[in-house]
Amino acid sequence: MNAGGSLSGGRSWPSRTSLTSSGRRIQKEMAELNENPPPDCSAGPKGDNLYHWVATLFGPQGTPYEGGIYFLDITFPANYPFKPPKVVFKTRIYHCNVDSTGNVSLDILDENSWSPALTISKVLLALRSIFTNPNPYKPLVPGIAQLYLVDRSKHDSVAAEWTQRFAK
Amino acid sequence: MVDEESKQSENGGNCALLSPGFRSVAAMAGWDEEALLMASLVVQDTPDRDAAKQKRRSDPLFKTPPTHSRRKRRDQRKSPVLKPVAVLNLDEEEEILEEKKEQEKKGPKIDTKKEEKSNESSSSIPCIDRLREELSCAICLEICFEPSTTSCGHSFCKKCLKSAADRCGKRCPKCRQLISNGRSCTINTVLWNTIQLLFPQEIEARKAVAGGGSNSKASSDLQSPPARRRNQYRSVIEALNSPEGEQLSLERRRRTSNHNLRQQSFRPASVVLLNSREAGENSVTRRRQRRREAAAVVPPPSQDEDAALALRLQRQEFMGAFRGSEEEPGLHRRSSVTRAAVNLRAMASRAIDIRNLRGQRN
Repeated sequence: MNAGGSLSGGRSWPSRTSLTSSGRRIQKEMAELNENPPPDCSAGPKGDNLYHWVATLFGPQGTPYEGGIYFLDITFPANYPFKPPKVVFKTRIYHCNVDSTGNVSLDILDENSWSPALTISKVLLALRSIFTNPNPYKPLVPGIAQLYLVDRSKHDSVAAEWTQRFAK
Repeated sequence: MVDEESKQSENGGNCALLSPGFRSVAAMAGWDEEALLMASLVVQDTPDRDAAKQKRRSDPLFKTPPTHSRRKRRDQRKSPVLKPVAVLNLDEEEEILEEKKEQEKKGPKIDTKKEEKSNESSSSIPCIDRLREELSCAICLEICFEPSTTSCGHSFCKKCLKSAADRCGKRCPKCRQLISNGRSCTINTVLWNTIQLLFPQEIEARKAVAGGGSNSKASSDLQSPPARRRNQYRSVIEALNSPEGEQLSLERRRRTSNHNLRQQSFRPASVVLLNSREAGENSVTRRRQRRREAAAVVPPPSQDEDAALALRLQRQEFMGAFRGSEEEPGLHRRSSVTRAAVNLRAMASRAIDIRNLRGQRN
């Protein structure tokens, strides 16, 4: 929570100036998301700061996360889209690629593998895909990854329990 | 043979142009000779009439009846030989006039079509939304501005691709293939022209945003061919609006396009013709001067700093001129055009007379 607040405070100036290229691009993405949102997702600016968004993801059917609603904070850097947005889970989740503070390890959100041709809707799709297919080989929480590989059913039951507890 | 024809045209002249029925109706309506003459001039504007009239114009040469005097006969034989030199010149001039007329007919039409297209570009093409998507830059999500195509075949705005290469490494943003630096700097002209044709408003808006920036110069360079074409239209329309317009525009064309050798070779003849004009036609030169001043006021697009502004100005000016030409009554314009042609022919025949006289003296 704290980190998000300080980030938004530090980046409040770009929205006040006349729209930069990053601002224009974010506005375009917002319009596109409103027009045809990806399935089971929604995203939009938190307040009047174009660079600070909030997104919601619905746990996909057939996964232990089914029925859960996950809130995420998305923070755009000033030189977006040349640098990736920062995505943080605000809802607790039992997942080997999401740590206890909500940080996500998603390859496309990495500085080196981010591409300016990627958009938030694609990022949301990628996040949805880690619900169905966690990546235990690049884990953020090794214990969960271990359990996922060794005892899948136990992993799933714990994950479902967490969904019931935190995401409903 | 030529004699006969000339005679026929001489006799037929105005009578052939106006049917007796028309004459009687005109008499009943109280038309005087002048009005009839004007009517005949209007009718004469058709091409075949023009040919007949041209023969009549040159008839002073053949007016002398066939005689048995050897000297005169020789002169008569000679004169057709002399004639083509001057008349050929005139013909060429006339060809250009005809060309101009055709351009006048075509030019505005083409441009109105273009205007229409730009106005309803969003509605006229059914798949415009998909086109917009396809022609959008994946980086800025707007219509590609000065698109640059990577070696892997993906296109982005030149600026966007450059910043992506600078900040995210030299890989294609779409497929992550390595891209060479040199390639990312060239604009895909076909794509760029297509985009400009399909989305003129968006491009104008972006140019206005980028105006004064480093790429405004590049855009003005790119814009120059259509701008030049527009200039041509403008001059044509100006010519249409003025009574002596055709000659003036011809003159200007000669003045401006020095690269055209054929037109340059024309110049001395035209100067002679213009010099042989009566003093009463000073107004023409005055008008021409005024026009030249007006032309000086309009900044040439190539030297313009703000390409977008210049473009808008030009378009406005063109539309204004076009509207003006529409509002002008067609009859008046036509008669003025024929009058100009008649003047030219009269001057040419006078020049031939002078030449003949000189030839006789020699």
